[in-house]
Amino acid sequence: MARTLAMFTDTSLCIGCRACQVACKQWNELGQEVPEWTGTYQNHAHFTDKTFRLVRFIEEPKPQGQMAWLLMSDVCKHCADAGCLNACPTGAIERTAFGTVNINQDVCNGCRYCVSACPFGVVTFNHDTGTAHKCSFCNDRIHNGLGPACAKACPTESIQFGFRDDLVAKATKRVAALQAMGFKEAQLYGADSQGFLGGLNAFFLLLAKPATYNLPDNPQVPQRNVVRDSVFSLGSALLVGLGAIFAFRRRGEGKESDHA
Amino acid sequence: MLKTPGWEWMIVVYFFVGGIAGGAYFTAALADTFGTRRDGTVTRVGYLLALPLVALCGILLIADLGVPTRFMNMLRVFKFWNPMSIGAWGVGIFGLFSVVSAGLSFSERLATLRRGVGLVGMIFGFFLASYTGVLLSTTAQPFWGEARLMGALFLASGASTGMAAVSLVLLLIGGATGEGWRKIRWADRSSMVIELVVLGVFLAALGAAARPITTGHFAPLFWGGLVGAGLLVPLGLDIVAHRVKVVGALSAVLVLVGGFVLRYVVLMSIQS
Ligand code: SF4
Ligand code: SF4
Repeated sequence: MARTLAMFTDTSLCIGCRACQVACKQWNELGQEVPEWTGTYQNHAHFTDKTFRLVRFIEEPKPQGQMAWLLMSDVCKHCADAGCLNACPTGAIERTAFGTVNINQDVCNGCRYCVSACPFGVVTFNHDTGTAHKCSFCNDRIHNGLGPACAKACPTESIQFGFRDDLVAKATKRVAALQAMGFKEAQLYGADSQGFLGGLNAFFLLLAKPATYNLPDNPQVPQRNVVRDSVFSLGSALLVGLGAIFAFRRRGEGKESDHA
Repeated sequence: MLKTPGWEWMIVVYFFVGGIAGGAYFTAALADTFGTRRDGTVTRVGYLLALPLVALCGILLIADLGVPTRFMNMLRVFKFWNPMSIGAWGVGIFGLFSVVSAGLSFSERLATLRRGVGLVGMIFGFFLASYTGVLLSTTAQPFWGEARLMGALFLASGASTGMAAVSLVLLLIGGATGEGWRKIRWADRSSMVIELVVLGVFLAALGAAARPITTGHFAPLFWGGLVGAGLLVPLGLDIVAHRVKVVGALSAVLVLVGGFVLRYVVLMSIQS
């Protein structure tokens, strides 16, 4: 296994130019879409089957009556423990040697279980192809040493791509620097490989609490409940089974008996 | 921020029919092993009902895929912790058992073999009736993902609807005489009681997370269609007057309606 590649998005550097969003569209040949009114500069409201990179524009009222304008270029997190990958029954979703999570379009049969299993609502079903789509970290590019289109296009280095361990070290320093500058809520999201989902291979530096960016505080892999839920089902099976056995048991063989 | 999978009416019907198929099969198998020879009709009806229903399940499951011709890709891998993966395998294996058991249900000479096959196939019947619930409870969705008893509830509903369907067929073919009818209605009542209890614990454990079905747009359907008309009313009717065939049949129809409403409200409440 090669060293894990990762993407570090430092939202404090983002200027909201959307070069990343456009670069992603161009390189991945993602078609045109009807825009949506979101009440901010943000378009679309969420990832779609044709928007894998999305700059979120978040307007937060501050106590002093001003507005904070938070920008965040969002993307598939390529989770180390990925709900989508766990869910996929066809093996279409695979982990590459670089640690990224990729959907093989030739294998996906469009069951949509992955769509329901991503804790971030990333994977989207495409009605034209009948398959599930999401960011691949530009699988073709990274396997040829080019780096994802979004990171290449970013003019402020808000999006950086490289080896995960290097980036985490960099990010940790950057948080400390920002906090020293007075950004009290500056924090990393998903950088900790001991943390939720085994760490995110696309991790973020946020300037406010995750909830402000509509990110879950402690996302979990939904499959962690399979065993427990199955045991409960088994209990239910025992109960109805016993009921049926009791109803049908060889009582009163040969004579009319009433169980009512 | 989350995205729903868009499992709509085909999956509603699939979950409903899968529950009946599984329920009818395990009822048949238990009647065969633990019942008297006169319960043979229940066994035959159960197996012969499960067979076309599981075929319908397969059709619905495949038709709902984005690329139905790639259905077989489900069998490329086997992920034992993944309800969708073992579900695809399980439906197939249950289908095979249904074919064999339906065939054996015509032979008295092979009764021992039929019982053996039935007891093993029964496991897959229980599986088919419940895995659809676990499929939902292991998603990242609100309500579904928090419902630890979704599989247990679907299983109890599969039992009550499966037994209701068997009793209706018994009545239609004129096999609802004497013991068989009384026993299947008794079994159905016990399943209804279990379903009510499981539903109660399900709601209590979910608390506010159950709001998508207990309040708002879907609430009248849930309380009126499932809890009232689909469980309490048929249970009451059946306790009072199951010996009157029309009443027993009415209660069976109501149970089936309730089973459909359950799958409908659970699936559609967070997807619409
Ligand atoms: S963010 Fe969602 S789509 Fe991306 S790897 Fe994680 S679970 Fe899969
Ligand atoms: S929709 Fe495709 S990628 Fe997603 S789980 Fe199903 S087969 Fe896998």
